[in-house]
Amino acid sequence: MSAPGTVSFSLRRIGVIAELTVLEAVRQRLFGVLLVLAAGMIAGAQLLREFNFGSSELKFITDFGFGAVTLFGTILAVVTAAQLFFAEIENRTALTLLAKPVFRAEFVLGKFAGVAAVLALFVGVTTGVLVAVLWMREQSLMASVPEAFERGRLVQYGSVVAFGALQWLKFSVIAALTLVIAGFANTNLYSVVISFLVVLICHLQYLAHESWRRMASGVGRTAAMLLAAVFPNFQMFNVGDRVAAGQAIDPVVLGGSAAYGALYLAVFLALAVYVFRRREI
Amino acid sequence: MSAVPPPAISVEGLTKDFLLSVRGYRVRAVDDLTLQVPAGQVFGLLGPNGSGKSTTIKVVLGLIEPTLGRTAIFGVRSAEVRSRLNVGYLPENPNFHRFLSGRELVTFYARVCGVDRARLRDRVDEVIEWVGLKDAASRRLSTYSKGMLQRIGLAQAVVHDPRLLILDEPTAGVDPVGSAEIGELILRLKAQGKTVVLSSHLLAQVEDLCDRIAILNRGRLVLEGGVDDLVTEKGRDALIVRGLDASALGDLRGWLDGRGAELVAVEKPRTTLDRIFREHVAERMQAADAPTAPGPGTEGRPR
Ligand SMILES: Nc1ncnc2c1ncn2[C@@H]1O[C@H](COP(=O)(O)OP(=O)(O)O)[C@@H](O)[C@H]1O
Ligand SMILES: [Mg+2]
Repeated sequence: MSAPGTVSFSLRRIGVIAELTVLEAVRQRLFGVLLVLAAGMIAGAQLLREFNFGSSELKFITDFGFGAVTLFGTILAVVTAAQLFFAEIENRTALTLLAKPVFRAEFVLGKFAGVAAVLALFVGVTTGVLVAVLWMREQSLMASVPEAFERGRLVQYGSVVAFGALQWLKFSVIAALTLVIAGFANTNLYSVVISFLVVLICHLQYLAHESWRRMASGVGRTAAMLLAAVFPNFQMFNVGDRVAAGQAIDPVVLGGSAAYGALYLAVFLALAVYVFRRREI
Repeated sequence: MSAVPPPAISVEGLTKDFLLSVRGYRVRAVDDLTLQVPAGQVFGLLGPNGSGKSTTIKVVLGLIEPTLGRTAIFGVRSAEVRSRLNVGYLPENPNFHRFLSGRELVTFYARVCGVDRARLRDRVDEVIEWVGLKDAASRRLSTYSKGMLQRIGLAQAVVHDPRLLILDEPTAGVDPVGSAEIGELILRLKAQGKTVVLSSHLLAQVEDLCDRIAILNRGRLVLEGGVDDLVTEKGRDALIVRGLDASALGDLRGWLDGRGAELVAVEKPRTTLDRIFREHVAERMQAADAPTAPGPGTEGRPR
């Protein structure tokens, strides 16, 4: 509590705003639709078994599950962050809120925290479904083709969960990035489109990374270097192939990716706050 | 501490330009406005549409930055977040989170304003009852009428018991009965010693409520003063007489002439359509025991 007549930055207020944001997202149709779609696809993956039994089927389910989590999670991150931000601006509810003793930074961080919580819920549920599906399938495979499991279970469940956690971090970075863009943008659609473009760039950023190494010098090289520094390299989170192949994730790699994500998250959040402080609402 | 308490709102040399295009075309919404709102009064900020009322309010609340000049609330600059500790604000055409119920909305704002956890529920119920929305409190806001939105907006504005209320067109789009109810709430706020700033383009309505008014036109202050000073015609008095016949009227005229006074006009006093509408409709609503009727403790309605 701050002294009477003063206001200090408050985590409690951020929490209150985040709670409202979660409530809004959950009461919207989009969240439910994406969640059911993703979970349904993962659960249905085992029905697509025109494959030979054994490790390749488990690999398929894992791959397919990771794909569903990544695809729908990315859509959810961009669309909810932009949508929940613009809902406040366009419906002018931000006016009422910011006329209270609330810092603009608290507003932005509250929105972000709400979106991050929604994304955690999404990743938690979908990863949970994936683990359950893999487990059940592995159980029955172990009964029918025991010779494939001579050295124990094939699925690295810990790594599947770690993959989920890393995806959540990536989605949070995407949400923060969308908030930066939304802070500049005038419309929801515009910020959604630009955000998806940026996400695409982040996925392909490693190409720029490789090219500046090969380039001799000049404008091209500088541009490629800048591109590589400004946009995070989303391949850093791309540990899914190894997990699907039944390999455990190296904790050092995991920690490195997490630190990398956290760094970009902090930078994007600071930028989002900075941009929003200057915005006229 | 200075001896004189600061005014509720002070606006000094405020100019606000909006940039309309990247080529630098600007519109001046407020033009060198200087204004003080004394504490404890109902202050009307009047003017036609587009005269800069809402813009002035937004600058005062720190929602947009002034181009020039400065504003303060109770002596604290608008740029500081703590200037908003003692303000409740009802925006123009208020629109709230439609997915919430009325009670959830007021609770949210109460928590944002740091209303004590222990008192939270009671306080929320109290203000919802005060604005007459008790029966609609658990309905989603998407089902509220315009008048109900204005009233739930008033509830969120007062929930933390601020000393100053800024209401931007609180009766716009609300029918006369609803407007009268909102007027009544404003008078009750004044009775509690609050300062109320009220913007409107409906002049007749605010005349009954305001102690003081300022009139803006194209962003400039064109008139400011106490309502009584402004609207009473000096050196003229009106008598309202019952049972006056033609001969008595002749006598009266002669009697007045003898005293150096002049009978300027004899007219039938007129009520307003607004009042007739209100009386007839309100009667019917009370007969139907409408849930929107204001709570007890409200003697009389605004003149
Ligand atoms: N965000 C904005 N961008 C551009 N022009 C604006 C903006 N807000 C208000 N204006 C203009 O400023 C003027 C004053 O508007 P406003 O303060 O809303 O008037 P009032 O509340 O008295 O009706 C109008 O000409 C309006 O078009
Ligand atoms: Mg206005």
